[in-house]
Amino acid sequence: MPGFESESRRHGRFTRRALLLGSAQAALLGVLGHRLYDIQVTHARRYQLLADENRISTQGSAPIRGNIRDRFGIVLAQSEERLEAAVVPDLAGDVASIVSRLGKVIAITPEDRERILALAGRQSRLIPILVRSGLTWEELARISVLAPQLPGVFTQTGAVRHYFRGADIGHVVGLVGAPDQQDLSTDPSLRLPGVRIGKAGIELGMETALRGSAGEITREVDAHGRIVRDLDERPSIRGSDLVLTIDTDLQTSVLKRMAAEDFAAVVALDAQTGEVLTMASTPTYDTASVAEGINKEDWQQLVDREGDPLVNKAIRGQYPPGSTFKMVTAMAALDAGLVTHKTRFTCQGSLELSGQRFGCWKLGGHGSVRLHDALKESCDVYFYELARLCGIERIAAAARKLGFGSALECGIGGQKPGLIPDPAWKQAALNNRWYAGETLLAAIGQGYVLATPLQLAVMTARLATGRAIEPKLLRPDHGRSAAPAATLSFDAGSLELVRQGMIAAVNEGGGTASSASLPIRGAIMAGKTGTAQVSRASHGRSSASLERKLRDHSLFVGYAPASAPRYAVAAIVEHGGGGSKVAAPLVRDVMTMLLERDPLSQPAYPLDAPTAARADAAPLATKPNG
Amino acid sequence: MTATTSARFDHRSLAAKLASAPVIAPLTAVLIGAAGVAALFSVTGGSMEPYAMRHVARLVAGFAVVIVIAVLPLRFWLGLAYPAYALLLAALAAVPYFGNEALGAQRWLTLGPLSFQPAEPMKVALVLALARYLQGVPANAMSHWAHVATALLMILVPAALILAQPDLGTAILVAAIGLTVLFCAGTSFWYLAAGVAGAAAVVPLSWDYLHDYQQRRVLVFLDPEADPLGMGYQITQAKIALGAGGLTGRGLLHGTQSQLDFVPEKHTDFIFALIAEETGFIGGAILICLFGVLLFSLIGMGLRCRSLFCRLVCVGVATTLFLHVTVNLGMVMGALPVVGVPLPLVSYGGTSLLATLAGLGLAMNAFVHRRQRLRAGELGLLLR
Repeated sequence: MPGFESESRRHGRFTRRALLLGSAQAALLGVLGHRLYDIQVTHARRYQLLADENRISTQGSAPIRGNIRDRFGIVLAQSEERLEAAVVPDLAGDVASIVSRLGKVIAITPEDRERILALAGRQSRLIPILVRSGLTWEELARISVLAPQLPGVFTQTGAVRHYFRGADIGHVVGLVGAPDQQDLSTDPSLRLPGVRIGKAGIELGMETALRGSAGEITREVDAHGRIVRDLDERPSIRGSDLVLTIDTDLQTSVLKRMAAEDFAAVVALDAQTGEVLTMASTPTYDTASVAEGINKEDWQQLVDREGDPLVNKAIRGQYPPGSTFKMVTAMAALDAGLVTHKTRFTCQGSLELSGQRFGCWKLGGHGSVRLHDALKESCDVYFYELARLCGIERIAAAARKLGFGSALECGIGGQKPGLIPDPAWKQAALNNRWYAGETLLAAIGQGYVLATPLQLAVMTARLATGRAIEPKLLRPDHGRSAAPAATLSFDAGSLELVRQGMIAAVNEGGGTASSASLPIRGAIMAGKTGTAQVSRASHGRSSASLERKLRDHSLFVGYAPASAPRYAVAAIVEHGGGGSKVAAPLVRDVMTMLLERDPLSQPAYPLDAPTAARADAAPLATKPNG
Repeated sequence: MTATTSARFDHRSLAAKLASAPVIAPLTAVLIGAAGVAALFSVTGGSMEPYAMRHVARLVAGFAVVIVIAVLPLRFWLGLAYPAYALLLAALAAVPYFGNEALGAQRWLTLGPLSFQPAEPMKVALVLALARYLQGVPANAMSHWAHVATALLMILVPAALILAQPDLGTAILVAAIGLTVLFCAGTSFWYLAAGVAGAAAVVPLSWDYLHDYQQRRVLVFLDPEADPLGMGYQITQAKIALGAGGLTGRGLLHGTQSQLDFVPEKHTDFIFALIAEETGFIGGAILICLFGVLLFSLIGMGLRCRSLFCRLVCVGVATTLFLHVTVNLGMVMGALPVVGVPLPLVSYGGTSLLATLAGLGLAMNAFVHRRQRLRAGELGLLLR
C-alpha cells in the first residue's frame, strides 16, 4: 500500500526532524544556561558590588567641635549640644498635617511652620528639614512615645557654638562660619547640614584638631530611596578640647588700659617658654554677638569702621619696627666681631652716603657714642655706621634668628609673616638691585622692614633669654616638644651688651625709655622704644601738628625683671607718635600688671583631668532629671 | 490490544484513559508552577497575598482543566481545530475596533466579565488548526505548493493581524511556532527557508510601522548603557540581580535587588531575576533543567504518537513553551530585547497560565490517544 509506505516514511521524517528540533532547543537552553553561569558565577563579584551600590546609602553625622578654654579654665568657646527635631517629607507624606500634629507635642512657632512648608515645597523630599532646635528632654520623650503617629519625624543631636568674653578674647579665639566652596572641596563631610568651620584665630589655626571627624550611618534604601533599615553606624568623633595660654582676666585689664589709645596691639609672653599670656588688639568687636547672628548693616559697619576691628593687629598688623630693630643690627655687628663695646662712632645729626643724607632723630647729633649709649639714646647714626660695616645680609640673618621674616606658627590662623628685606628679595619682588642706603634704613627698622607685634615680643624674649623662644598659644604645646628652647648661636657677651643697653634706655638718666621705668620698687625693666615713620613729612616735626594718619607709629618692647627675665612685652600704638611718649608708658603699665598679678605663679587649669573638664562643661548642656 | 483500537472512536473508560496519561510532563509542570508560587511568595516580602495564593488557585483550577482536556475524545479537538482558529482570527480582526488600548497597543478584548488577549489562545489554536490541516494532507503531497501555501497563509494571516496591533514580539512568536509545526510535518526545507526569509524581510520593512516604544526597545537592547535610567534600567537591574545572586543565591526573601524594588516587573516578566537572585545559579539552572525536562517529555510524547495530528500537537506545544521560556530568559539575561513575554507557569497572570496549561492538556490528550489512527479520507468524512 503506497499510502502506508509514505505514511511510514513521513513518520521517519517526523522523528528525524523532531529530534533535530529537540537538539536545537536543548542547545539554546544550554546557551542560556551558559550565559546564566557567566553572569552569576564568573562575574558575580562585579554585580554584587553594583547591587550594594544600589541599596546602600551613607549619611554623615557631623562631629561636635572641641571647646576652647583659657589658661585658668575659663570657657571661651563651647559647642552646646542641642536636641533637634527634623522631618523627612518623603517619609512624612503630608508634611503640613504632620507638622500640625507635631505642633501639639512640641512648641512650633508659625514662622517655623512657614519655613518648614516652604522648604518642603522647594527642595528634594528626601532631605531632612529642621523643625526646631533646643528641644527639652521632656519634648524629646514625647516625640519618641508618639513616633508611630509621626512618620518621617526624627530627633538628632546638633550643636551651637557659643563664645564667651568675645569682646576681650575674640581676636585670639576667632570665629566659625559656614564653609565656603573652597572648604567644601577639601572635605566632603563639611557638606553636612549645620557644619561650621574656623574662619579666624584659633578656630581657624586649630581647625583640624577642633573639628573632630564625622560619623557615618550606613543605611539600606530601596529603589525609591526610602530608608529600609540602618545597617551600621560609626559615631562621629568629638573634636579636641583646647586650653590656651592666654590669661583672659589679664587680657581684659590690658584692654582697659589700651582704651586710652585708639588703635593698638599688645603681646605679652612668658619670656622663658614663649607662652602668650596676652594678645590684645584694639578696637575689638564681640565675637559672641557676631556668632549669635548679626545683621548685614551691623556687619558692614564692623568691616568699614576705622581701625579695622575685625583685624587682630598683634598677628596681622605689619609695621616698620623702627628703633626696636636696633638690637638686631647691634647683634649682627657684635656677633660678626665688627665692633666691641668700646667702638665709638661720632654722630653729627646725620650721615652722608653716596650723596644722600641720612638723619638722626636728634637733629644736633649725639657726639661720640658707644653701643651702650647708642641703644640708650637710640642714636640713628651709630646704627648707620654699623650697617655700613656689616651689610644687609648679616642684619637679615640676625633678624631671622631673632624671629622676624616669617610667621611664627603657634596655632592661630591668619598670621602675617612681616618682611626682612635682602638683595635677593628685592630682585625677586621689585626686580631692582639693592642700594647701600637701603641697608642704612633697614638697620633702624625702616625702609622695607616689617614686623608684627608678636614677632617683636618674640625678639624681646629671645634677646632676654638667648634662646630660640617660640610663641605658644596652646597648653600643652600642641604636637611640639615641651623641652626648653634651644640656645641661639649668639655670643653671650654680645647679648649681655645689648641687654645692658636696653636696661640703660629705661633706667638710666637720658635714656629714651625712661617713661617706661616700673613703679614697683626693685623691679627693673629692660626695653627699647621705637618710632616708626609712616611718612617722610613727620621727620623733625612734632606729631601734634600732623594729620593723624601721617603720624608715626609708637612702639615699645621690653622684658622684666631685667636680672631674671620672666615676661616679655611688645606694644604698638598706631599713629601714636614717639615711642617714648605713648607705647613706653603702655608697656610700663602692662608689665606692672604682669608682675603684680604674676599669672605664671598661679596654678593653671589642670590638663590631665579630663573628667573635671567634662563636669565643668556640663552647666550649658541640658540634662535629664535624675 | 492496540490493534483493536478504533480509528474513529475511542471506547476506553475514563479510568483507562487516565491510566495511559503521561506522568513526567504534568509532574514537571507542577514543580515549575510550585517554583512560581515560591517566587510570588517572595515578591510580596513573604506573603501569600495577593499573588502567591491566586497563583495556587489558578494552578489548581488549571490542572483540572488540563485533565478534562486530556481525556476528551480526540475527535472533539479535531472538530474544534478549525472553528477555534476561525473564531480567534475574527477576534484578532476585531481588536482594532473593539479592543482596549494599553501602552499604545490594542490587545485586549472584553467579552462580558472576561477580558483576554486573543493573541495568547491563538498560539494554541494555530498549532491545532495546522496539525488538523496537515493531518489531512496525503503523505506524498506534503511539499505540494498548494498545501504549503495554504499552511503559510494560515500562519501569516494571524501573525499579520497581531503585528498590526502592533505587537511585533508575539507576531514573531506565532510565525515561529507555525513554521516549526510545518517543518516537523515534513515540508521541504526550501519552502521553509523561503518562509523564514520572507518573514525576516518583513521585519526591517515593518520598522517604520513600529510604535516609538517598540523601536526604543530594540535600540535599547542593542545598547542598554545609552539609556541607563529608562528602558535600559530594567535590563541593567535584572542583570545586577542575577549577578548578585551568585552561585548559591542570597536566600529566599533576601535578594536586595528584588526585595528593594530595583528589579522591575518582578512578579510578571522579570520573575526569573528574583528567582536567580534569591536561589542563585543553582536555583536558576534547576529551573532551566525543569523546563528542559518538560520540553523533551513533550517532544518524546510526540514521537510515540501514531497520527500526524497528535505528533504535531505535541511538538507545537513544546515549541510554544520553548519559545516563551527562551525569549523570557533571554530578555532577563539581557540577551534579547525587552518584549512582554512572561515565563510560562511561573509568572503571575491568568491568560498566559491558561494558554500554557491548555497546550499541556492538548499534548496530553494527544498522548492519551497516541495509538489512534487517522486516515486522510476518514478525516474528510468526519468533517463533511
